[in-house]
Amino acid sequence: MLDALDKKLLKTVADLEDLPKGAYNIRKNGKLMHRQKSANIDIETNADGTGIIVTIKPGTKNESVHIPVILSQAGLYDVVYNSFIIGDHAEVTIIAGCGIHCGTSEPEGHAGIHDFQVGKKARITYVEKHYATGEGRGRRSLNPTTKVFLAEGASAEMELTQIGGVDEANRLNEAILEAGSLLVVTERVLTDGEQNAVSTNNIVLKGAGSRANMISRSVMRGNSKQTFYATMEALNKCFGHIECDAIIMDNGTNETMPSLKAKHPDAELTHEASIGKIASDQLTKLMSLGLTYDQAVNRIIQGFLK
Amino acid sequence: MLELKDLYFTVPDNNNGNAGKRNIIDGINFTFEKGKFYAITGPNGSGKTSLAKLIMGINPISQGRIIFEGRDISTLSITDRSKSGIAYSFQQPARFKGITFRDLLSIATGITDEKKLLEIVLRVGICPLSFLDKEIDAKLSGGEIKKIELATTIAANPKLAIYDEPDTGIDLWTIGPMVNLLKKELAEHSTTTLVVSHNRVFLEAADIILIVDKGRLVYTGDLKNSLPLLENLSVCTYHSSCEGEKDAGCLR
Repeated sequence: MLDALDKKLLKTVADLEDLPKGAYNIRKNGKLMHRQKSANIDIETNADGTGIIVTIKPGTKNESVHIPVILSQAGLYDVVYNSFIIGDHAEVTIIAGCGIHCGTSEPEGHAGIHDFQVGKKARITYVEKHYATGEGRGRRSLNPTTKVFLAEGASAEMELTQIGGVDEANRLNEAILEAGSLLVVTERVLTDGEQNAVSTNNIVLKGAGSRANMISRSVMRGNSKQTFYATMEALNKCFGHIECDAIIMDNGTNETMPSLKAKHPDAELTHEASIGKIASDQLTKLMSLGLTYDQAVNRIIQGFLK
Repeated sequence: MLELKDLYFTVPDNNNGNAGKRNIIDGINFTFEKGKFYAITGPNGSGKTSLAKLIMGINPISQGRIIFEGRDISTLSITDRSKSGIAYSFQQPARFKGITFRDLLSIATGITDEKKLLEIVLRVGICPLSFLDKEIDAKLSGGEIKKIELATTIAANPKLAIYDEPDTGIDLWTIGPMVNLLKKELAEHSTTTLVVSHNRVFLEAADIILIVDKGRLVYTGDLKNSLPLLENLSVCTYHSSCEGEKDAGCLR
């Protein structure tokens, strides 16, 4: 059964009050805790027992699958390989996330390697949240990897969020887009204290008419540091855009490196990047509506990471 | 309801022999009365916006005092001036990421209830209901963001509403209704209304015209008597260096 701490972590990373409806797989401290399949969504442990294979039948509509991971065991570094096979024309929402509670001085961590094969004209929404908490001083690390293959006409909307408390994060997102497919990735990372986060994104626009939009929103508080690499490589007539904004608070630092590679004469690739403190006209505006300076800062950051 | 007493706003200026300082606002005295419509006008760079920002607390005053409803607000923060009933509509409103018109309205009014927010948008009238969930970001047109700015200012039910060039980016067909809206708010809520503008429509709507030139009030009174001076000032923003209409050295 779920205890109070499990519930708190699940609420934060997957917005779940209790066991969800529909298909789910809840992993705790490296072991399966709860699993439920549905008529259209199958969940099996993979051959070597290192993760799960989620298979969604072609044509499945309006279903969701939750696959949260919770960690509260000192000294554990949990690595999981999950595969998602989404049938043609299916439309599903996948909610993943990892919540770490660290109660001791021993480190805890999780690496989730998620591999998506999205079938022709299938549409997925993938929501992944990472969060760490606890009074312990052990280092909490989260190193998620997502690899996406979009077949012809498929679309994926991915929201990747690291909310707070993670000391060390090394994120890797890779995608290959076939003809007419669409990828929208929104990554939001908030770091504080001495935390460090690196995000590496490699998107290959392979098919004609494929489109990709990579949006990154970073906030660095305290002395934290974030590094963002995004490479978009166009191999066909396609459209790609990278938008990366970073807000520096306190003594945070940021390095942002968008990179565009057009290997086809009809490729259209654009990027916009900005790093800086909160714009003073935004603060002045909200203060003129009655918010204090601190309330205005919080409201702007809250919107920025929404 | 608002008194400006010997008001100065001074900035460093290395090109000025006067101890390296320049007065953007150069000793203004004026009393605004409750429920009246004021238009502040004058050439570009004359200090109109600086004066409006001094009243809101966006610019710090260098010397003098501002008394609002009998209370000295000279050192109050922007936040506290807002809470005491002053609202400010910016000439170039800030653009955000992830903040909607709904959010701004909620912050300005303290109301989050959907029905009540829709009522406010309807009452103000200048924005369609569909604007409510529009993000206040770079995608909004200049006209849309100004309408939202105006609506947010009115929604706050201020005692003193300051509008800095409210017609910037607004189409010709909206300026008339915009003036009527400000007059209606004034009539119904006795909102003291202060508009910084060059637009004749606002000047005609005002009870009192204030002309600012080189940081000083050079005229206060009705529109009719201000016309000769306005004519003189508005013809050319280089009037200080004017050498005559037909002079080849004209900077226009």
